Amino acid sequence: MVMTVSVNVPSGFADRPMGMQDSYPGFAKRRRVIENRLVDFFDEAGYELVSSGAFEFVDTLLRARPFEAAREWVQLFDGMGNAIALRPEMTPSIARMAAPLVTAAKLPIRWSYAERVYRRTNDPASLSWASGKAAESTQVGVEWIGEAGATADAQVLDLCHRATLALGLQETQTVVSHARLLPALLKALGVPGELVADGLACLTRGDYVAFRAVLPSTLPDVIGILQAVTPYEPDSLADATAGAIWQSETARQEMEAAWGSLVLLASAVTDLGLKEQVMFDLTLHRDITYYTGLVFEVFAPGVGAPIALGGRYDDLLAQFGSAAPAVGLAFEVERVLAVLGAPMTAADTFSAGSLGAAVNHAGGGL
Amino acid sequence: MLTVALAKGRTVDDLLPLWQEAQLPLPADLDDTRALVFEVAWDGYSPIRYLLAKPADVPTYVSFGVADLGVVGKDVLLEQQKELYELIDLAVSKCRLCVAGLPKDFDRRPERVATKYPKLADAYFRSQGQSVEIVPLSGSIELASVIGLADRIYDLVQTGSTLKANGLVVYDTVHDISARLVANRSSYRMKQREISEVVRRLNEAMAKRGAVRQ
Repeated sequence: MVMTVSVNVPSGFADRPMGMQDSYPGFAKRRRVIENRLVDFFDEAGYELVSSGAFEFVDTLLRARPFEAAREWVQLFDGMGNAIALRPEMTPSIARMAAPLVTAAKLPIRWSYAERVYRRTNDPASLSWASGKAAESTQVGVEWIGEAGATADAQVLDLCHRATLALGLQETQTVVSHARLLPALLKALGVPGELVADGLACLTRGDYVAFRAVLPSTLPDVIGILQAVTPYEPDSLADATAGAIWQSETARQEMEAAWGSLVLLASAVTDLGLKEQVMFDLTLHRDITYYTGLVFEVFAPGVGAPIALGGRYDDLLAQFGSAAPAVGLAFEVERVLAVLGAPMTAADTFSAGSLGAAVNHAGGGL
Repeated sequence: MLTVALAKGRTVDDLLPLWQEAQLPLPADLDDTRALVFEVAWDGYSPIRYLLAKPADVPTYVSFGVADLGVVGKDVLLEQQKELYELIDLAVSKCRLCVAGLPKDFDRRPERVATKYPKLADAYFRSQGQSVEIVPLSGSIELASVIGLADRIYDLVQTGSTLKANGLVVYDTVHDISARLVANRSSYRMKQREISEVVRRLNEAMAKRGAVRQ
């Protein structure tokens, strides 16, 4: 059989800026359907849709994030010479919008949003949605301002789980930690501040090997301790750290407080019947500095990055002029689409038959 | 099913003894066939499927989740910076990332550097306050230095015998490299039972070898 090969692929069409992705019929519609399904679901759950402009003042974003995070933002100057940036996420915008209402004591605030968010990328292949960081992506999420405590945290985890079911995702796993527990544990064990920061950066990258290398070798096996404990068993932390030598009593108390709130959360999660879906991994660390308590990531088979993320940020609203506890979550819509549409959602779905054929074929001595 | 992508060549050769000591199931014919996919049963756990992949492709397979686990050199991980969990330093297949060149060029300012690791090489020379032109090549990097394409090479050095045979000397050692066990972030959560058992057995086997603290 003769194959015809097209040598003269036409060229010279207009290109796109780095990281920008076109969506043709099919994909664009599926994405909008998913967005709508989430917005409707959150609406029924009592979260009203809000929206804001794509640009924020850099100054506004810096109230939420440290200076180093600004490297990832797409920045420019407006006509007045102010530095502005495309929002890298919605939470700072929501906090800015909510602060006047908080001052007027109109609490609680339960809002949802469905927006594009932006960050700088060096990857020309914009289809890093499934496995990495995209320059432009779609987030649908909720923010609940004015409610503190483990019960509210558990309700957010429950909301998130029910949203995954509404999307038709069968198997998901929610991984939960506390933003302050690991830093407090390291400080309590006498690790100097700059090493704590280095260690946490390693864990954010997922590099457990470097984390072990960064910490002083005199330290007990921190990862081993954290992987052995679960707030479903309230005494497990005390048991696992029984032999530890504490260098800082304040840090130890901070660790105990974080653990106490996780234990409350674990019992609230059990009451909601979510124990199967919610696991604790205290080595989970997220790079967002405004989290003060609960942090979580939701995983589904076939996509190597979390499909939903969230956490509690009780100190953020104060940066916008009016203090209030708050908790939120966001779905990464393109990753959800990748899970739903993946030709092989999990390595398992390779049927045994087709695998057998591949093995035989390759074994035939190509 | 747990899918493990192994970097073909030296990494897998050095890894197999450790894998056996860890009593993890292995296919009998891994070395002597040209097959790329192997499936073996694992008592009490779901079966393991092994993929033999080009080292530079292992992080891609793992980050996209077609492999749950991977074993690959740290050099590849450093160059690619994919989103993965790096779980264990397996302390096998050890080598070094080095800057090398002809002895006569040692005192000259570097101008052109041939390498398989353009990002790492660029980062290294910038950290030395030197501005160089990077020449990306995909193999036999030593050749670039010998024939005068580049005055430095930035490459993996195992025993140093290839360098020696070509009259090259090591100027500087930049990173110590060894094989690492990496996991897909979703698989690490969804297949926790299997993966933590692999990790536990490997750690145990390494402890027996008296390797580095884990």
